Amino acid sequence: MPVTVQTPVEKWNGAVREVTLGATKADGGTRGRTVTVGGSATLPFLHFEGAIPNRPVIAIQVQDIDPLDWSPTLRSAWGDVTKDVLKWAAKAVDLGADIIALNLRSAHPDSGNRGPEEIAETVKSVLGAVDLPLIIYGPGVPEKDNEVLVRAAEVAAGERVAIGLCEQNNYRTIVAACLANGHVAIARAPIDVNIQKQINILMSDMGLPLDRILMDPTTGALGYGLEYSFSVMERLRLSALQGDGMTQMPTICTIGDEAWRAKEAKVSQGVPEVWGDFAKRGVVWETITATTLLNAGADILVLRHPQAVENVRKAIDQLIA
Amino acid sequence: MALSGLEIYKLLPKTNCKECGQPTCLAFAMKLAAKGAELSACPHVSEESKAALESAGAPPIRLVAIGSGDQKFEVGNETVMYRHEKTFYHQPGILVRVKDTQAADAVVVTVQQVQNYSVERVGINITLNGIAVENASGNAQTFAKCVELVRSKTDMPLVLMSQDPAAMEAALAAAGDSQPLIYSATAENWEAMAGLAKKFKAPLAVYAADGLGGLANLTDQITKAGVADLVLDPSAANVNSTLASLVQVRRHALRKNFRPLGYPVITFPSRLASTTEEETVIAAQHIARYSGVVVLDNFDPTLIYPLLTLRQNIYTDPQKPIQVKPDIYTFGDPGDKSPLLITTNFSLTYFTVAGEIEASGIPTWLLIADSEGMSVLTAWAAGKFDAEKIAKTVKTSGIADKIGHRKLVLPGFVAGMSGEVEEELPGWKIAVGPREAVDISPYLKGVWSPD
Amino acid sequence: MSDLGVKAKRDGQCIIVFKPSGKIIEVEQGTLLLDAARRAGVEVITPCGGFGRCGRCKVQVEMGEVARRQSAHLTQAEIDKGSALACMTVVKGDAIVYVEPKEKVKLAPPLETAAEKIALPIACEWQRNPRIRKYYLEVEPPTLADATNDLDRLRRELKLQHGVEKVSVSLPVVKNLATALRQDGWKVTTALEYDGDDQQARLIGVLSGDRSSTSWGVAVDIGTTTVVVYLVDLLTSKVVDAATAYNGQINAGDDVISRIIYSQRGDGLAQLQGMVVKTINDLLIELGGRNRVKLPEINEMVVAGNTTMTHLFLGINAKYIREEPYVPVTTHPPVVRAAELGVRINHEAGVYAFPSVGSYVGGDIVAGVLSSAMFQTDKLTLFIDVGTNGEIVLGSADWLMTCACSAGPAFEGAGVRDGMRAIPGAIEEIWINTESFEPTYRVMGNLPPQGICGSGLLSALAELFVSGVIDKGGRIRRELGTPRVRVGEHGAEYVVAWASETQDEHDIVLTEADINNLIRAKAAIYAGFSVLVNSVGLTMADVEQIYIAGGFGRHINIEKAIQIGLLPDMPWDRFKYLGNTSALGAYTALVCQDMRSVADEIAAKMTYLELSADNSFMNEYTSALFLPHTDMTAFPTVADLLENTREKLVLTRGSSVV
Ligand code: SF4
Repeated sequence: MPVTVQTPVEKWNGAVREVTLGATKADGGTRGRTVTVGGSATLPFLHFEGAIPNRPVIAIQVQDIDPLDWSPTLRSAWGDVTKDVLKWAAKAVDLGADIIALNLRSAHPDSGNRGPEEIAETVKSVLGAVDLPLIIYGPGVPEKDNEVLVRAAEVAAGERVAIGLCEQNNYRTIVAACLANGHVAIARAPIDVNIQKQINILMSDMGLPLDRILMDPTTGALGYGLEYSFSVMERLRLSALQGDGMTQMPTICTIGDEAWRAKEAKVSQGVPEVWGDFAKRGVVWETITATTLLNAGADILVLRHPQAVENVRKAIDQLIA
Repeated sequence: MALSGLEIYKLLPKTNCKECGQPTCLAFAMKLAAKGAELSACPHVSEESKAALESAGAPPIRLVAIGSGDQKFEVGNETVMYRHEKTFYHQPGILVRVKDTQAADAVVVTVQQVQNYSVERVGINITLNGIAVENASGNAQTFAKCVELVRSKTDMPLVLMSQDPAAMEAALAAAGDSQPLIYSATAENWEAMAGLAKKFKAPLAVYAADGLGGLANLTDQITKAGVADLVLDPSAANVNSTLASLVQVRRHALRKNFRPLGYPVITFPSRLASTTEEETVIAAQHIARYSGVVVLDNFDPTLIYPLLTLRQNIYTDPQKPIQVKPDIYTFGDPGDKSPLLITTNFSLTYFTVAGEIEASGIPTWLLIADSEGMSVLTAWAAGKFDAEKIAKTVKTSGIADKIGHRKLVLPGFVAGMSGEVEEELPGWKIAVGPREAVDISPYLKGVWSPD
Repeated sequence: MSDLGVKAKRDGQCIIVFKPSGKIIEVEQGTLLLDAARRAGVEVITPCGGFGRCGRCKVQVEMGEVARRQSAHLTQAEIDKGSALACMTVVKGDAIVYVEPKEKVKLAPPLETAAEKIALPIACEWQRNPRIRKYYLEVEPPTLADATNDLDRLRRELKLQHGVEKVSVSLPVVKNLATALRQDGWKVTTALEYDGDDQQARLIGVLSGDRSSTSWGVAVDIGTTTVVVYLVDLLTSKVVDAATAYNGQINAGDDVISRIIYSQRGDGLAQLQGMVVKTINDLLIELGGRNRVKLPEINEMVVAGNTTMTHLFLGINAKYIREEPYVPVTTHPPVVRAAELGVRINHEAGVYAFPSVGSYVGGDIVAGVLSSAMFQTDKLTLFIDVGTNGEIVLGSADWLMTCACSAGPAFEGAGVRDGMRAIPGAIEEIWINTESFEPTYRVMGNLPPQGICGSGLLSALAELFVSGVIDKGGRIRRELGTPRVRVGEHGAEYVVAWASETQDEHDIVLTEADINNLIRAKAAIYAGFSVLVNSVGLTMADVEQIYIAGGFGRHINIEKAIQIGLLPDMPWDRFKYLGNTSALGAYTALVCQDMRSVADEIAAKMTYLELSADNSFMNEYTSALFLPHTDMTAFPTVADLLENTREKLVLTRGSSVV
């Protein structure tokens, strides 16, 4: 008698929440289109099991100050546009970004220490130059983050941008700014399921609706903690599917930041020959970090290299087909 | 299904005689449940219990060895869907394929590249695992010759790829007793292939064009024909359906204990790819999603290295605390007057401290002691971050050659041991830093001075 | 029903008469009893702000119909008698309600003396084989004709008068013998010690005169933070009195690790031994004085302490307890004589220390398991000892598993700015009004407060959390606009009592650091038993009863312990607070020596789980570092409470609570 095989489907009680970034004219903003992420009612790409209403999207990272410290591989790929954030953002649009991730690096005390008013101008002009939804990152220094992100949130009022990063010991100011101006806040935790959930809860306890929170469980690059991110993201997704409302936020991964920090992507001299071709290595590093985390449940991937964008988009096409 | 410690305990004598080396029967039961002990260590288990424990212990995914000798590798015997639940045990073999239509020297070049490829990551040498030889010519003799050539150059495990039992037999004969993986038995040829697998004591890969149902029926028949060491090829038409198959096979085996699909799997990423880069991306997904044997079409170090790194990452035991490497870490560009802090190598501790130092903008030296992945308080409580350990870390790190001052800042939580550290480190001044990382920045900016 | 007098009332209106004031009010059906009372000018106290949390607005509905919301503060019996919480009860029709006048409510119940309530915790035949037996002897003085030496003379009389055959003697007793015999005309009382079922007696004391109508022993719990001594009448098996003090070693460090480190320096070990012995001696003097018991008449002592405390008390090197692979010098210390230790009872009195399981699960826990009787039950039992270290035991008659986690001394009142022991003057319970954030508290002994004890800290944490003064992460919300919240020199803090209310005129506060300490302590304990339960493949729901022991003072408020996530959210009848089980175990083994072999069996049977061996403890710990817990689904009643509080606030304030 032939054996019969039934598709092994698991029953889930929950789904990832949908979060929309960007607001068009109809919604009180000026974006040309909006991007909705999340919504999966199954593990990544298991189409046989549950609905996957939105594909993962790619945010291309741009900076408001020329990133002289970036790898030559990146700098040569982008060329001159890195000197002008507006041109850079426009080129990112041309490359097919779904979202522009604007890093306000110039507000960092070590790279210009620009104040909130200058930053407000930058944000306004980027909003004017491109019509994609925006993610805005502060310089990563708590006091400066709070100072400039509040102004950024104000000038972007109504545009439904995502603002980050909110961390366990510095979230109240940013959440309040998002609440007041209709934005989405990004909750970051240090590769820890529990702390991620705690920051999500604390932010939601401030009254921020759950469909205005993205979570960033911290990305470990390939070879530098990728497995921890992978497992934390799997656990968060499982918990979301099991119905835990406080882990159902879509996930955003800062792939570019981490992958290009890896020695493999940064160092061309004095490394083993078996590492292969330096010119290609960084891109592969970024690509593999991205596609691996895609399979762990990433909804938004923040990338740096145009070729990685291309590779990852192809991978998403294949996974979503 | 695996038994819990308590279920096993119920089957033990409960006399706490300690002969197994454990203080109590329950302790022994828990060791057994965690696969940290052998049942034979207890001389007093009844025959009945022994039988019950052994049948419950049978792995839901069969462990299959590919190749023979030193370089053989084993796959299967996995127990979890997600690595955080326990760990993934047997990392996939990564192989590169040659075709019997290639020129002999091209084949030899590839074989040697694969054979010689070795790269060190975190103190471990990682390598590729073997060669797949494909009977692209359709000719049995050519195939056998090619296999012979490969065998003459390497002892690495082989996968022999042909649907033709005659060609396979010739190749197997050429491969000697190296127990290559036979790829593959199908609905058409399975009886002959099963015969070869038995004859050459080689593991057999099974492929069915009609999905997992067909695959299960085939393996069912093949096992009845007496072949036990099987490998499944669950590949489907495209990337996402292949991924779905990989997940489904694993679920059948683990969640339903469904024996016909309780085998490791083999995948061929290139079949789903149009470029080498794409093949790499797909291979990476197969490594993360349960593949046991990944056969690549191309050898390119730039693409191989990230795959081997990924494999190492995914198969790291997640039960071990997350650690960073004990070392000297620098922030900004510290000079000989910059502050020197010390903390433990639990990565969360490191990340928090590092983040705060970075945020302070003060160039700083940070010494990380090996606390076996414990945080400051836990490590201190466990004696893994005591005066001796700190002194040893300072002395062996070579930090003394990099700085002009002799002042070390301890985490505030272990303020009580500053006297002891001073005793252990003659000539050093020991300062007490803040208890909480958030106060590091004010400390570095306001309190710290090298004198 | 509608004949409550007064005047004709409108439809849908109810008339409520309040006793004993006699005030009457007409309110709409559905009005909260609390509101009705307030409108009538009847004062009902609501420490929690009327959120059903404190149960202190209890009133009696003597007649009429009301609708109550369920509350854990009312038993069915109380409801049957008409009790209702004014803040959780609405009026359905006319009613007569009795409200306790305010003055009476304020009076706290008198402090019961601890010793009265202490009874033998488990059944044992303590009279079968008493370890200490006293015999009165009238000895013929020696003469030239009968010149038998003193000792043989005594032996002879013991045999003749009491049938005692074999008696061994030690030098100190012999040295003292001549005087004792002659002091009161050759009338003496001998104290003999019988070890187990051995027929050989050991002569441990000879006192002049007839002292056979009393026989004293002491049971001692040596805690890292606190030492407790019970004075026990061995003839009746009753605890006569008890005394407690901080362990004198506290000056050498708060926790066992610091003590071990201290013990390794110079004569540190001897110093530590001296400190704890002094603490015990001081307590003995206190007890002796109060009960007119001469210390040399105390003939037996049993101590229970964690492994480090036991080592240090006995002067045994404790160094290796702390170093991998964590082995103590002994888990079964031999019986020693009091004089060797400097304990000022009868020099020859035996001192028995409870056996331990290993370095981190000591004799105090073995004593606890013994006194809890969990080793005899069929029910899956979780035993939690909340002390400086949280020790946890899981199991039943079939098996026992144990682990230890480092909780810190917060719940013993140490390591918290205004923390103190549970003695008169300690705030032992606190309520915080959800709307005004004003606290109400109860002080032990009805004195002006001096500090906050363990149970007070626990209830403070729960109240701060539920009333919204702190967020789930334990951070004080600085924007509440109450003078109770301020940023002091130690960071943000909440003022529990203003200086003017206190004994020594300082503001009693809880700082954010205190709060974090308490959260860390509760998280360590919760994580400990979660890991323990999971390690054997069970879940919390399988646990049938939970025994709580430890240093909370007089009681632990289960409800609040659940609210902060110290204890699992389970029906309250599964919990039982056992008090100081270590002292109780010592007491049991003091009066009933058979229990010593039972203690050995328990120690041998307990399987120790090392928490640091894998990641699961870290994971459980981080997830418990939140109020009540990161996994809210494990705390359904707390989730309900928060939701109700929030809803009610939205109602009363007409706005969101953010
Ligand atoms: S040897 Fe067997 S009977 Fe003895 S303790 Fe170990 S498991 Fe128990």
